Amino acid sequence: MDELLQQFLIESRELVDQATDDLLALEKAPNDAERFDNAFRAFHTLKGGAGIVEFTAMADAMHGAEDVLTAARKASAPMSTQDISNCLMCLDQVVEWLDAIQSTGVVPVGASAAAVIARLARPTTGPPAGAPPADVTDVWVQGLMTAHRNAAAQAQTAIRYRPDSRSFFRQEDPLARIGALPGLLALDVGPRDSWPMLEELDPFSCNVVVTALLAISAGDALAALGSEAHHCDVATLRTHTGASMDHSLSKQAHEVLEAQLSLLAGIGERQAPSLIASAGTVAANVLRHIGKIADADRMAATAAHCVAAHDLAGLQQAIRAALGGAPPAPAAPPEPAQARRDEGGAQTLRVDAARIDALVRLTGELIVAKNAIGHSVRLAETEGAALAATLKSRHAALERLVGELQRSVVAMRVLPLRVALQRFPRLIREMSVDLEKPATLVLEGEDTEADKAIVEVLVEPLVHVLRNAMDHGVETAAVRAAAGKPGTATIRIRAFRAGEHVTLEVVDDGGGIDVSRVREVANERKVAPEETLASMSDAEVIDLIFAPGFSTATTVTELSGRGVGMDAVRTAVKRLGGHVTATSVAGQGTTVRFTLPFSVMMTRVMTVEAGGQQFGIPLDAVIETIRVPRSSVFRIGAAQAIVFRDKTIPLVRLSQALGAGSRDDSDDASPVVITKVDGDFGALQVDRIGERMEIMLEPLDGLLGGLPGIAGSTLLGDGSVLLVLDVAELLR
Amino acid sequence: MTVRLAADGTLSLLGLCGVEDAEVLQHHLLAAPESTVEWSGCQHLHTAILQVLLIAKPRLRGVPSNPFLRSHVEPLLARKPK
Repeated sequence: MDELLQQFLIESRELVDQATDDLLALEKAPNDAERFDNAFRAFHTLKGGAGIVEFTAMADAMHGAEDVLTAARKASAPMSTQDISNCLMCLDQVVEWLDAIQSTGVVPVGASAAAVIARLARPTTGPPAGAPPADVTDVWVQGLMTAHRNAAAQAQTAIRYRPDSRSFFRQEDPLARIGALPGLLALDVGPRDSWPMLEELDPFSCNVVVTALLAISAGDALAALGSEAHHCDVATLRTHTGASMDHSLSKQAHEVLEAQLSLLAGIGERQAPSLIASAGTVAANVLRHIGKIADADRMAATAAHCVAAHDLAGLQQAIRAALGGAPPAPAAPPEPAQARRDEGGAQTLRVDAARIDALVRLTGELIVAKNAIGHSVRLAETEGAALAATLKSRHAALERLVGELQRSVVAMRVLPLRVALQRFPRLIREMSVDLEKPATLVLEGEDTEADKAIVEVLVEPLVHVLRNAMDHGVETAAVRAAAGKPGTATIRIRAFRAGEHVTLEVVDDGGGIDVSRVREVANERKVAPEETLASMSDAEVIDLIFAPGFSTATTVTELSGRGVGMDAVRTAVKRLGGHVTATSVAGQGTTVRFTLPFSVMMTRVMTVEAGGQQFGIPLDAVIETIRVPRSSVFRIGAAQAIVFRDKTIPLVRLSQALGAGSRDDSDDASPVVITKVDGDFGALQVDRIGERMEIMLEPLDGLLGGLPGIAGSTLLGDGSVLLVLDVAELLR
Repeated sequence: MTVRLAADGTLSLLGLCGVEDAEVLQHHLLAAPESTVEWSGCQHLHTAILQVLLIAKPRLRGVPSNPFLRSHVEPLLARKPK
């Protein structure tokens, strides 16, 4: 299965789970705006994902669900239970599709969202939730039944089919579709918009509304209508079906209840409460739908109880009891989709990046331990030869193991660049159409691997660079033709590994960077003083496009959107520990080259200010931040301490500890960061608490290597250096 | 060609009358609004043709053997005689 589809599967499953949770929470707390927004976002993201993998049926279904949510928002009324069930049903369909993709490796061919959409759309045209299904107040239903009294006596379902005007071009023959429906009792055909004069009729434009009475259930009718179901309104008629419903379940209701049972059987030991809740909700809704209100309420209560008690069997029993009065149905075959999912469920494992980081740290410690043994070996050599030999072999074995562990752990974070690059051909295609500049994108070396953090962060800078290439670099076909170039421009993204670095080049064959124009703009926008500009070489001038405040884009485009320039690209790349440069040949094109480290380790830090300087404290060492008035600080010998949670812990004034000048005069309460390293508490008094951020920690080397109390440094977005503290050393 | 114009001005719908025949039928009926349409040989009637027939309301002759056309479509056309 290709990478994109795999990613889509993982993300979609997560989104389905999230949306399910949110919908179920909404059912309990209908006014929870945050849950509502979350659910909406999940459906929207699912739709977007489906669009990317070109799964139209799913995109349509998600669109339908979005419509339901939008309608609820517009009406500023809480979602009805019916709406929620419909949305959940929509998600069930998605899961089925995802399972199909997982087992076949391709987007299901011929999948149709029609049935889902028809059900989603029903509340607006059909009976409201909880009301008896036989609400036949619709004028068209009444008209149809009056016109066909004999047929109406036998009819279970009325449908109104309004094919769109372009149906004929889709090889659709509405009359034939209705004619082919099983159990057709009566038929009417009228104009959708009033009939035109014969001479004004466009014979290829479909202008009919077909209404019909059917002797089959609404569900069967929708199924039989197939892909056209979303052009249909369906009404269930009371007259015929009412009598039999009191005593037995309809075939459809029976099937839905059976489906809940097999769903519950499938979850087995996992006992996911959300699944139990959803099965219970559906079962209750089925009963309510067929008019067994009391049974429905009982079912809902049982379900709520079972969710709370994680009692899977209880709900299964209740559903079986509900099925009890029903006509014996053939034993439901085990759901193949369910089985497939259980087998294939563990193929991909999403691991919290923090855990991987922890493993990486552990690996580092192992290496230290290994080195210590090496040291012991040297010691033992002077003591006893036999001991040395044993230790030596142990050390060798440990070395091999640690090496393997390190490689596999680092590999866990490695992804092929394709993950980031594969969306770009589409992007270029769209830009090419929008800007009317024919261009193609060629990817080279997309199998080159790099750290997950790099691959993920690269996307945005690359979008920016590609956008720039299309906006400013690539010329229109006419200009290219005049310059003797092929009409279609080629943009190449070339990736390769060079030692510990990954290089990525974006090469276009456009007009190149107009150096004199860059000089002008740099001067206008005061990016560099005029005299400096004059003395700069062309290469140096080109580098100015990365300078803050330099952006030749006169309009904010939808893709770059935020009005940031190439300086944002450079900052993003720098933050990853890489650098970006541009070269250009007038008339021949521009090359933007990213050089990035192969592997990046991210650390989360909290910034604090002390003695007028910013420092970072690794977040995993921070317990909490409090304010301590001076009066609560007491002296123990030469040191200071405070009481925190009934414990006396040492207090270190950060500015003093780092020799950065003190502000001892402050009387007011100053912020204190409570830390815990290796089980020991400590308190760091600072001047100000800053923000949390994720950084790449670089160890200090060279002259600064021996600096006490500093674990490393990182480059901040604004180009300044942030020193990250070694808390354990500071408090020692 | 499934729409045929006989010498006496009768239009015959024969066999499977598809969407492409609608325009032909429309032209014939515009040229000779009084034409009779003989459709007993019709086995399939596309919605597009039905549209033309519902608007033009020509005199119909014969009853098609196709059960769907006979029991469901014929009443639609017969209900509004010209």
